[in-house]
Amino acid sequence: MRTLLRILAGLVLLGLVTGLVIFFGFTGAGPVPPASRDLEALDEEAEAEMYALGEYVAKAGDCAACHESEDGLSFAGGTPMETPMGTVYGTNITPSETNGIGNYTADDMYRAMVYGIARGERRLYPAMPYTSYHAVSRADIDALYVYLMAQDPVEKPNRPAEMVFPFNLRPLIAFWNLIYRPDPPEDPGPGLSGGEDLAEDRRGPYLVDVLGHCGECHTPRNLAFAKTDDHLGGTVIEGAVAPDITPQGLARRGWTREDLGQFLSTGLSPQGVMTFRMFPVLSHSTKYLPARDIEAVAAYLAQDMPDPASPPSDPAAVDAHPEGHGLYMGLCAGCHGSEGEGQPFGSVAMVGNTTLMLDNPLNLQRVIREGIPARSLSGHLRMQEMPAFGATLEDSELDALTEYLRDRWGVGAM
Amino acid sequence: MTALMTVSMMINGTETEPVEVPEDLMLLEFLQEYLNLTGTRYGCGQGVCRACAVIHDGPRGPRALPACITGVAWANGRAFRTVEGHADRDDEGNVTAITPVQQAFLDHFSFQCSFCTPGFVSAAQALVERLEVEPVPVEDVEDVVLAALNENICRCTGYVRYLEATRDVILATPGLTTGVERAEES
Repeated sequence: MRTLLRILAGLVLLGLVTGLVIFFGFTGAGPVPPASRDLEALDEEAEAEMYALGEYVAKAGDCAACHESEDGLSFAGGTPMETPMGTVYGTNITPSETNGIGNYTADDMYRAMVYGIARGERRLYPAMPYTSYHAVSRADIDALYVYLMAQDPVEKPNRPAEMVFPFNLRPLIAFWNLIYRPDPPEDPGPGLSGGEDLAEDRRGPYLVDVLGHCGECHTPRNLAFAKTDDHLGGTVIEGAVAPDITPQGLARRGWTREDLGQFLSTGLSPQGVMTFRMFPVLSHSTKYLPARDIEAVAAYLAQDMPDPASPPSDPAAVDAHPEGHGLYMGLCAGCHGSEGEGQPFGSVAMVGNTTLMLDNPLNLQRVIREGIPARSLSGHLRMQEMPAFGATLEDSELDALTEYLRDRWGVGAM
Repeated sequence: MTALMTVSMMINGTETEPVEVPEDLMLLEFLQEYLNLTGTRYGCGQGVCRACAVIHDGPRGPRALPACITGVAWANGRAFRTVEGHADRDDEGNVTAITPVQQAFLDHFSFQCSFCTPGFVSAAQALVERLEVEPVPVEDVEDVVLAALNENICRCTGYVRYLEATRDVILATPGLTTGVERAEES
């Protein structure tokens, strides 16, 4: 009996110790590699070089996607991110000592980006994409640090996260980290700081999976809201479909490597125009990427891609859906063309349109209902406004129109 | 080969004779080519400049919409007013009295080349009629006028005069605003 108790007590003690070790040892920040260079001793030329590189890293990493303020200041914070567990707001990452990251060292920034541990051991919600950024190179983070610290400080307080219980208890993120946070790779490579040394076969994955954190929206999540193994397989996030961008998914919807490059650099391709949360990705990030990066990203996304499908079209849908066809002719054909051909710079073609080919009609219905504002894409490229038809169409009419479109040129004709 | 369809609609209070037209015909072409109502203007052809705006009298009340991108397939069986249908006319079709909106545009010298004018008349008239049902506080009038006419493009830049004229009509017409009560509330 006594022996049994001893064993039990021993087990409990072991459990406790293990728990604490796990809690404090493995779920906090891991090792931080030494700084890529002495940031205190940069001469003017070196600092300018780091600044330019940091700006490039900030754009490729699309920091502004979440850290932009409501009034468009790139790093002052405030962009809401809605999750099933509540709303998290992008924080102020200007060098304000009171409201921003003015007290951060470059090591602090590394811990926040790679391990999700902010200065003061505060655990960040994985809305901060540290599970993607975990493989950012130290040199890139140092450059980003120089760039961010040279911005004007903005005295705008952070808006606290509005998470429902128990997700409002930040220490619990430790357990999530224990299961879902990957360790940084042993050799993250040179990153963008490596210039030409970042070869194309590494450049694509680095831009897509690490800095660009595409999977944060395009990869389905599990019940714990962690990314699953269905990498870039497409999911619904913040009320819109982030489409399947695997090579198979893209080929099925007729994308080529060239189309992808065009879409990322201009926001427009034969498959359509960037909408919803992808439009800010263009305006903050992809349109600034040099051709070499765009080519590497497109090559990686199209890696071992099957032959792209030709645009589906089924004229039989006209007779099968008289109501939907009538609505199309009456409300859509004026811009999108009676044969779905579209107009350059005015309205996208329905033939080959990627949104019509998604299994889920959510994006299509939202665009018809809400419209799309007129937008400047990249350079002088613009698209005119798409009017909202939510007030014009009854729900049943919207369904009829959607069904017609999908059967005529979309998923129903594939 | 585009399919044909037979359409008929209420234009300026008169039901049109049923006529067979291509199913992708736009309302603007129908008005101009089939009804000889050439007051509605073709501008951009993309629904952006609103020179082609006509009033649709639908279940939600009068609303200006672009006739250049609205097809007869949708217009069929519905009711519209074009710029020709605003003023009162005698039996021979001669104008006997213009509307307060039209008069205000003249008084304010709102237009020069006039190409955009039918669209502005339609948008302003639709606004006035909406306010008859849903009046707005006096202090909101400027915003409401701007919102209603903001999409209409005028290349002679008569915007200010169009907006001022519309504002004056609204302020001078009893029942379109709810000035006093709101002023006390705020």
